[in-house]
Amino acid sequence: MSFRKIDIDAFDEDVLQESELYDPDPRDPTQVLADAKQKQSTVRSTLSRGDISGALNIALDSPPYGPNVDEAKNIALQTVVSVLNSTKATEIPNVLKSLSEDAQDTLMKYIYKGMGMPGWGDVSGSVLLAWHEKLTEVAGTGCIVRVMSDRRTV
Amino acid sequence: MSNSLRPYLSAVRSTLTAALTLQNFSSQVVERHNKPEVEARGSKEVLLNSLTISRNESERVLIEPSINSIRMSIKIKQADEIENILCHKFTRFMMQRAENFIVLRRKPVPGYDISFLITNVHSETMLKHKIVDFIIQFMEEVDKEISEMKLTLNARARTVAESYLMAFDS
Amino acid sequence: MSAPEVYSIAQAPITCHTFNADRSQLALSLNDNNINIYTKQGKEWQVTETLSEHDKAITSVDWAPRTNCIVTASQDRNAYVWSQSLDPNTGRMVWKPTLVLLRINRAATFVRWSPNEDKFAVASGARTIAICSFDPENNWWVARHLKKPIRSTVLSVDWHPNNVLLAAGSADMKARVFSAYIKDVDKRPAPTVWGEKLPFNTVCGEYASLTGGWVHAVGFSPSGDTLAFASHDSSITIVYPGGPMVYTIRLQSLPHVTLTWTAEDTLVAAGHDCQPIVYSGGPGGWSLAGTLDDSATKTGATRVGTVGRLNTAAFNAFRNADTRGHTSETVTDTELHTIHQNTITSVRPHEVGAGGSVARVSTSGVDGKLVIWNVSAVSVGGLAGRLGAMRM
Repeated sequence: MSFRKIDIDAFDEDVLQESELYDPDPRDPTQVLADAKQKQSTVRSTLSRGDISGALNIALDSPPYGPNVDEAKNIALQTVVSVLNSTKATEIPNVLKSLSEDAQDTLMKYIYKGMGMPGWGDVSGSVLLAWHEKLTEVAGTGCIVRVMSDRRTV
Repeated sequence: MSNSLRPYLSAVRSTLTAALTLQNFSSQVVERHNKPEVEARGSKEVLLNSLTISRNESERVLIEPSINSIRMSIKIKQADEIENILCHKFTRFMMQRAENFIVLRRKPVPGYDISFLITNVHSETMLKHKIVDFIIQFMEEVDKEISEMKLTLNARARTVAESYLMAFDS
Repeated sequence: MSAPEVYSIAQAPITCHTFNADRSQLALSLNDNNINIYTKQGKEWQVTETLSEHDKAITSVDWAPRTNCIVTASQDRNAYVWSQSLDPNTGRMVWKPTLVLLRINRAATFVRWSPNEDKFAVASGARTIAICSFDPENNWWVARHLKKPIRSTVLSVDWHPNNVLLAAGSADMKARVFSAYIKDVDKRPAPTVWGEKLPFNTVCGEYASLTGGWVHAVGFSPSGDTLAFASHDSSITIVYPGGPMVYTIRLQSLPHVTLTWTAEDTLVAAGHDCQPIVYSGGPGGWSLAGTLDDSATKTGATRVGTVGRLNTAAFNAFRNADTRGHTSETVTDTELHTIHQNTITSVRPHEVGAGGSVARVSTSGVDGKLVIWNVSAVSVGGLAGRLGAMRM
């Protein structure tokens, strides 16, 4: 038998798995998807009223994370980016100040996710980088460290 | 396009500062070993989420942090075939001399043009903010170098073609 | 408000440091296999002895004030207990090592004597903590292991004042409180807020920060009723097990890797942003009080500018590139505004003041400096400016 080809480390029970590194989302996947769709419509209506801070706060509240909720994650990302796109550059600092610490961390996560997605290059150059710079000024490098260490990836 | 260069480089700078929080960490997998966890990838819990910073479709930076090392990969802007070749030759030249660079990796991470590996040993012997300065300066210089090389290449090609075709001008 | 005493010990990183009981001697490791013992002569620290026995880098050292023993832990899976004895040949006091059989198969990462100095705890990468006590019959140190439920390298430990409870922070993102009660060595402890009737290896509490992150440092308050831990997600968490009330302070700066309590309501933490920061609060809540390093407000005020303005050096360099088409290196500044130029690796209480709280703390860093700070010299203004500079 091919004993030499067995990956012995895969059978080690003591090793920590990715899923054990964070508390899983208590809501189940369908619920998460429904939440994301509903938030999208709420945000759209809030935006049309011109309330950017409110829209961003709603979009960043309890984001979907973890496995099995990819569609919800995509919808959430679209929602957040639509809010970011419709904000004028001069209003950004005010909007950022109105966010809670949790919301700032979540926003930073979405900024990085947006920059990492293939096909988002144009959005990235103009919008996401500007928001990243302003958010770092407000929340500091600690916010970036939290994006790196938080396993609840959006 | 230069209006997004400044935020791009400042985003890379702040992300790199946040990632360069390294410490000495002995391997949990093999006894008496001490290796960069981002390369060994032995234990999931000591690796952190990787972050991408992109300026546009063709320019990206990927930073993969861990507890004792970070790996940073850069995708350089290559507008046409000539820049492709020049970039490839340029990065190859540097990667063959990776030992002198100390923080350079000999092979780029797939999908990128050049990669750096910074470990806790480097952040102990060198000042962290100067390492960040070096990388940012590198990113600025590489674009300039490649444009310069392309210009000289075109100039030489033009001169050669002119002098060759002069022979037929009669 | 006395200024901090700065000693440049070496050009190499100081991995760990510890003082003896009267603070006249200092033991530290310069990122290698040896411990150097320094004695204070005048205003400087001079090397008087070098302890070499370890094969690989020393990760941690602790000096027991009353019994005058030093324990060292290293990446070679061993720990040694050093005690002073009279050398018959030279007639001087020399340090003799005793090997401790830890029975761990990975590196030892951290070591601390218990308050009564009859036990010490060694954290290791083997996902265990070895509690070692002295066996007088065989004249050696015996280790017992705390294993469950630790799932990754233990990064730091701290003893409770009752000599039985032990807090441990590990790379599986959790801070735990264990009972390290050893039958023949400890008397049965009085009940505390953490529990009563605690046999060896009971977990009295398991805590984590919400955003995850390896727990770099843990510490019990002077009374032992509160636990604080610093984790890699740039946060400090303080736990009151009675409630249980958990307060998390999220930082704008880089994570802390070491902390120590100075009083029941104050603690000092330091780490990757190269300056010791003071936090204060109580059962009602905790917040950041300020920094002990206020050199920026004195000297570098012009360089720092307003909070949030990206450091002027970088800004100028890019502006030059944009307008004049060249990048010049003339604006760069190699020195940080803080006293420490690189990460602070360890902060220890140095001197106890009149009211029983710690008056001075000592810090050692990767830049080879040892600094002794006055804990009451907290400045708030310098913090914001320094953060602006550090963001570079």
